[in-house]
Amino acid sequence: MNAPAPHSRHRPRLIAAALIAGATAMLVLSFASVPLYRAFCAATGFGGTPKIDAAAAPTDPGERVLTVRFDANVARDLPWRFEPEVAKISLRTGETKTVYYKVANLSDRETSGQAAYNVAPGQAGAFFVKVACFCFEEKRLGPHGAEEWPVVFYLDPALEREEGMRGVREITLSYTFFATKDPAPSKTSETASEKPKG
Amino acid sequence: MASSTTAGAHDHPRGLRRFLFSTNHKDIGTLYIILGTIGGVVGFLLSLGMRLELAYPGVQIFPGLAELLQGADPSMALDAGKNLYNVFITVHGVLMIFFMAMPILIGGFGNWFVPIMIGAPDMAFPRLNNISFWLLVSALVLAVISMFVEGAPGMRGFGGGWTFYPPLSSNTGTPGPAMDFVILALHLAGASSILGAINFITTIFNMRAPGMTLHRMPLFVWSILVTAFLLLLVLPVLAGCVTMLLTDRNFGTMFYDPAGGGDPLLFQHLLWFFGHPEVYIVILPGFGIISQVVSTFSKKPVFGYLGMAYAMVSIGVLGSIVWAHHMYTVGMSLNAQRYFTLATMVIAVPTGIKIFSWIATMWGGSISFRAPMVWAIGFIFVFTMGGITGVVLANASADKQFHEGYYVVAHFHYTLSLGAVFALYAGFYYWFPKMSGYMYSETLAKANFWLLFIGVNIVFFPQHFLGLGGMPRRYIDYPDAYALWNMVSSFGMIFVTLSLIVWFYVIIDAFMKKRLAGANPWGVGATTLEWTLPSPPPFHQFQVLPRISGSGR
Repeated sequence: MNAPAPHSRHRPRLIAAALIAGATAMLVLSFASVPLYRAFCAATGFGGTPKIDAAAAPTDPGERVLTVRFDANVARDLPWRFEPEVAKISLRTGETKTVYYKVANLSDRETSGQAAYNVAPGQAGAFFVKVACFCFEEKRLGPHGAEEWPVVFYLDPALEREEGMRGVREITLSYTFFATKDPAPSKTSETASEKPKG
Repeated sequence: MASSTTAGAHDHPRGLRRFLFSTNHKDIGTLYIILGTIGGVVGFLLSLGMRLELAYPGVQIFPGLAELLQGADPSMALDAGKNLYNVFITVHGVLMIFFMAMPILIGGFGNWFVPIMIGAPDMAFPRLNNISFWLLVSALVLAVISMFVEGAPGMRGFGGGWTFYPPLSSNTGTPGPAMDFVILALHLAGASSILGAINFITTIFNMRAPGMTLHRMPLFVWSILVTAFLLLLVLPVLAGCVTMLLTDRNFGTMFYDPAGGGDPLLFQHLLWFFGHPEVYIVILPGFGIISQVVSTFSKKPVFGYLGMAYAMVSIGVLGSIVWAHHMYTVGMSLNAQRYFTLATMVIAVPTGIKIFSWIATMWGGSISFRAPMVWAIGFIFVFTMGGITGVVLANASADKQFHEGYYVVAHFHYTLSLGAVFALYAGFYYWFPKMSGYMYSETLAKANFWLLFIGVNIVFFPQHFLGLGGMPRRYIDYPDAYALWNMVSSFGMIFVTLSLIVWFYVIIDAFMKKRLAGANPWGVGATTLEWTLPSPPPFHQFQVLPRISGSGR
C-alpha cells in the first residue's frame, strides 16, 4: 500500500467491475431467496412445513398420543364448500392415518383450485409426515360436483426426543383452497372507468 | 497551498452547460444539495399538511386539499381526503429518505468533500456521477407524478405507507398505475445510488493522495465508504423486492400472492433487509460530519480514531442482520424474536462508542461554540434520545405494544428527522463557507438552530406520550383522548416553519453581504485537506497531489 504509484490504468475498472458483480449477486440472491427458502423449509420443516414421504410408513410405532385437528378454508373467489370429515382425531406417533375431506363445487361451472397447507405449532412441521395428499396437485370439480379427498399422514416418532415438542399435545393441520389463476393477468379496467371525475 | 489554481488545458464550461452536463464533483455536489433542498421542502410541506390536519380531532383540511390538488368531486371529497392523507404520509417518507437526506448527505457533501479530503482531483468516474444525479431527478419526477394518477379504485396516488406492503400495494389494494410509478421511481433512485456507491468506493480505494492510508482518512470519508458498501449490498435487494411486486402487478407472477404459493411476508423480509440498513445509510454520513465538526471546534483530534472508524463498520455489519425487528408482529418463532432482539440491542454498543468518543473529544478541548458546533451538540442530544427509545423498541415484547403507533414515529423521527437533519445542518454550516466562499451570519445560524431544536422537540416529544397511550400511526383522525398532545405537537410546527424560513434567509443574506470566508475560517482545529484550498475551491483542485504525513485527521 505504501507505493500506490502508477499501478495500472485499469485498476479503477477492475474495482468497479468487482463492485458491479457484488451488486448483481445481491440482486440474484433476492430472487433466489424464493427457491432457497422453500428448499430450506422443506428440508427442516421450518415454520410448520410438513414433511413429504410418499414412499413408506415408519418402521416402529412410538408411544406418545397426540391430538390432530383439521382446519379447512376456502378463498372467497372460489365457490367451494370444503370441510374435514372429522374435526379432530387422536393419533399415536408412528401410526399411519387416512382422513377424508368433503368438498363440493357450489357453482354451475367447472372450477379448479389448489390447496396451500401448513401445520401449527411451527416446530411440529418437521415431524408431520404426509404420505399422500390432495394438496400435492391442482384439483378440478365439475358443475355442482362433490368428492371426498384423502390425506394420508403419520407423526414421526422422533418428535418424542425433541425438547421443543414436549409441551405440544395438539397439532393443527390447516388447508386453504385458492382458485387457480388464469394465465393472463386481469387488471381491473372496469374500476378505472367508474372513477368520479371532478 | 497544495494546488495551483491555473486550470491549464482543462475544460471549464459555463452557464447551463456547466450544470446540465457537469462532470465536476463540486458542481454535481451542489446540484445534489439543491435537489435535496427541493425534496426536503416538498416533504416538509407534506408534513405541515399532516400536522395541521392532526391539530384537532376530526377531518378538517384534507377533503378541501383533495379537491384542490387532485380535482376530487365534492361529493367524494371526504374519502378522497382520507386517501390523500395516506398519500401524504407515503410521499413524505419517500421524499425525506430518498430525495432529501440521501442526496444531501451522500450525493451533496459526499461528492463535494470525499475527493478533496483524500487529496484527489475528482471522482473516479465523473460521467457516472452525472448519470447518478440525473437518474435521481427522473426518479423524483416519477414519485411526484404518482400522487396524481389513479391508485386505489376511484382514488389518486398510493397511500400504503413508504414500506409499500402488499396486498395494499399489489393489485388487490392499488390496481391503478400510481404504485407502478412509485416502483419505477424506486428503481431509478436505487440505480442512481448503486452507481454513486461504485463511484465512491473506487475513488476512495484508488485515488488517495500519497501518504493518505486508509487509517489516515478523515472520519467523514470512512463514513461514506461504509455507507457506499451498505448501498451496494442492500439496494439490489430493494430492486429485486419491488421488481417482484411489479411483475406480480403486471405480469401475473405470484411472489407475494398466497393463492399462487407466494407469501406477502417475503416482501416484508426483502424490504426490511434493505430498509434497516437504509436508516444507517442515512445516519452514517451524519456520524462522519459530526466527528469532523466536534474535532474542529474542540481543537483536538477525534478521541479514539480507530474505534470511531470501526464502530461505523460494525454498525454497518450489525445493521444488516437485524431487519426482522420491524416485523415482530408477523408471527415469527420465539427463537427468531430472541435473536433479533439481542442483535438489535448489540448495535447500541458501537453507537455508544461513538457518542462517548464525541464527548471525550470535547472533554478538555478548547471548545468554540460556533454554529456548526452548536448543531453538532444538538445532534448528539437528539440522537441519544432516539437511540434510547430504539433500545426500548428493540424488545419484542415492548414492540408488540408499540407497533405501528406514535412511539415508533417519535423514535425514528428523533433519530432521522432530528438526528440526520441536525447532522445535515451541522455539515451545511461547517462547509458552507468552503462551498460558497462567503461567511453566513452567525447570529442567524444560531437562531435557525434554536428554532428548529425547540420546534422539533415540541413536535416529536409529545408523540412518545401519544404512542404510549396507544395512538396508531397512519390515520387521519383520532379519538378526543389524544387531542391535547396532538395540539402541542402541531404547535411545534410553527417553530419548525420559522426555522426553515430563517435558513433560507441565512443563505440569501450570505450571498448578498458577501463576507469573504478565506481558506480556513475555523482556525487551527480544521486540519482536513479542504481547508488548505481557497474558498470556494478552484474548479480543478490538487493539480499537484498533496503529500500526507502523520496525523492528517
